[in-house]
Amino acid sequence: MDLGRVKAIVKKDLREMFKSKYILSAVIGMPILFAIFIPLSTLYPLVAIDSNEFEGGDEFPDYFKDLFSQVIPNWDSTGAQGQILVIMSYIMYIVVLLIPIILPAVTASETIIGEKERKTMEALLASPLSEAELVTGKILSSFIPSVAGTAFAAIIYSLITNIMIYPFTNSLLFLDALSLVFLFVIAPLLSILSVELMILISTRVTSVRDAYQLGSLVVLPLMMLIIGIVVSYFFISVIALIGAVAILLTLCAIFFKIATNVFDRERAIVKLV
Amino acid sequence: MLAVETKNLTKMFHKLKAVDGLNLEIKEAEIYSLLGPNGSGKTTTVRMLTGLLRPTIGGARVLGLDISDNLQEIRSRVGHLTETPALYERLTVRQNLDFFAKLYKVPETEIKPRIEEIVDLFELPEKLDEPAGTLSKGMKQKVAIARAMFHEPELIFLDEPTASLSPESAKVIREQIIKLVKKEKRTFFICTHNLSEAERLSSRVGIINHGRLVAQGSPGELREMRKDETVTVFRFSTWESNTKEFFADMKIEIVEQNQEQKYVSVIIKDIEKQTPSIINSLTKNNFQLVEVKHEFPTLERIYLEFVELEGVPREENNMEES
Ligand SMILES: Nc1ncnc2c1ncn2[C@@H]1O[C@H](COP(=O)(O)OP(=O)(O)OP(=O)(O)O)[C@@H](O)[C@H]1O
Ligand SMILES: [Mg+2]
Repeated sequence: MDLGRVKAIVKKDLREMFKSKYILSAVIGMPILFAIFIPLSTLYPLVAIDSNEFEGGDEFPDYFKDLFSQVIPNWDSTGAQGQILVIMSYIMYIVVLLIPIILPAVTASETIIGEKERKTMEALLASPLSEAELVTGKILSSFIPSVAGTAFAAIIYSLITNIMIYPFTNSLLFLDALSLVFLFVIAPLLSILSVELMILISTRVTSVRDAYQLGSLVVLPLMMLIIGIVVSYFFISVIALIGAVAILLTLCAIFFKIATNVFDRERAIVKLV
Repeated sequence: MLAVETKNLTKMFHKLKAVDGLNLEIKEAEIYSLLGPNGSGKTTTVRMLTGLLRPTIGGARVLGLDISDNLQEIRSRVGHLTETPALYERLTVRQNLDFFAKLYKVPETEIKPRIEEIVDLFELPEKLDEPAGTLSKGMKQKVAIARAMFHEPELIFLDEPTASLSPESAKVIREQIIKLVKKEKRTFFICTHNLSEAERLSSRVGIINHGRLVAQGSPGELREMRKDETVTVFRFSTWESNTKEFFADMKIEIVEQNQEQKYVSVIIKDIEKQTPSIINSLTKNNFQLVEVKHEFPTLERIYLEFVELEGVPREENNMEES
């Protein structure tokens, strides 16, 4: 693998993305939307209720208590309203994790199916670029804006939720160990997987527009996966989380291999050009 | 060493034989043009030679390297102007060239001067920092050709290089090609429909039809093969009604007669011997002869005949005779 060639692809793709208003607005707009709009619209109504009028329901089950007393030192003394807000803000954090799924699907459509649609793929394939270099370049060029966007969103989200919840809990919720693991381990792996799946889809579509539609096929299963991971962590354990990371890593490796086959010259020329 | 050598090179797409048992030998420092109608297999041939497609049967050596196991090296040592050579339209011309320079590992320090040199050669310096999308079609094509040659490959495949170029741009490209062959011993393999260009440029041409090579040689050799098809035109100042009978009596085949323009085109078996005696007897019989000219077969005529297109006068005559 020649890193100079990979770097050339990444640089070229990023340059192209920055010149596309659509991609640029997705890369900037989506984190802002997800990190600001969604917590404000779901958490704020709860915050706004007068604490005296707040009707706490039944007590939370014991495993909730065990789990959250680990993240909030004074869980027991936090009122029902505060407890609900804590749980909600953890659940809404999943929304931030949709960014590393959706954003790479959008950028990879542009950088991979875009090459096919605009007929630039054949010259690329005629160059001495190896399949692995091409796939790595394409993964990285979508990975960079995705991880940057996710980190940006996570910081904004943490800021907003901390400000809203602090009065109830008297302690900071984010960024805690769990959300950092999601941000720096799960999100990057999801970004990679998302690009690899878009490469597989690229053999089936001829235009970027079709790719966006079929892209939901990538986004939906990955969303189920992330929800599965979060839920399994909540209900089972740290071991489950480690298991999930191992599965993601394996999937990334398997799909990397399949994606390099997509760029096998013969198949690519017949299907991509 | 041969620049390109193919042995029974064959490519099937399902049942279709796109390229059928091609045997080519292209020497170094040669300009070889592959001529053929649409769908005859030119692009498929070139794609096999640069490893974009795998041959179904047969094989080839490019720069002495076998295409079945040295593709990476072949690709880095040849240039390939693909059939639809799109540029990255949002990037500038410079960025486009720079990107490919890096894919081909042109040393960093050489990239900038070489970009400036090559846009000068192709007469595009003022467009260097413009987005490629703003260039005209022909300018884009020139950039694409520059891109295919940028890493100074020994062997350059050009798939219809001048199809969208104006005559003066095409001339610039031809001059560059000839210069590179003469000065630097580069080899060119060109697919084209442009017969007069192939005739002017090529050291040899191959004519391909339905994936098979139907004729090959230098433009001169091909003309020689069909020299019996030279048409001779006799033009008169006044038209005589017995012109047709006159040639029929002399057992000379008329290809075309045009009463309005006052000429006949005929085929003379032995031009050197027969022409003087025909002229003699025409004047003797009071035909008002203004002009006699021999139209040697052009590459175009030969080409059309080889690919068996309809509407070639000579063919119709043959059929009448048989
Ligand atoms: N990927 C493919 N799948 C199936 N058939 C193909 C494919 N590529 C080419 N063909 C067929 O192979 C034949 C040769 O095509 P090719 O593109 O090599 O012709 P060509 O000589 O380059 O034509 P043109 O002058 O129009 O460019 C055609 O009949 C074409 O339909
Ligand atoms: Mg072609």
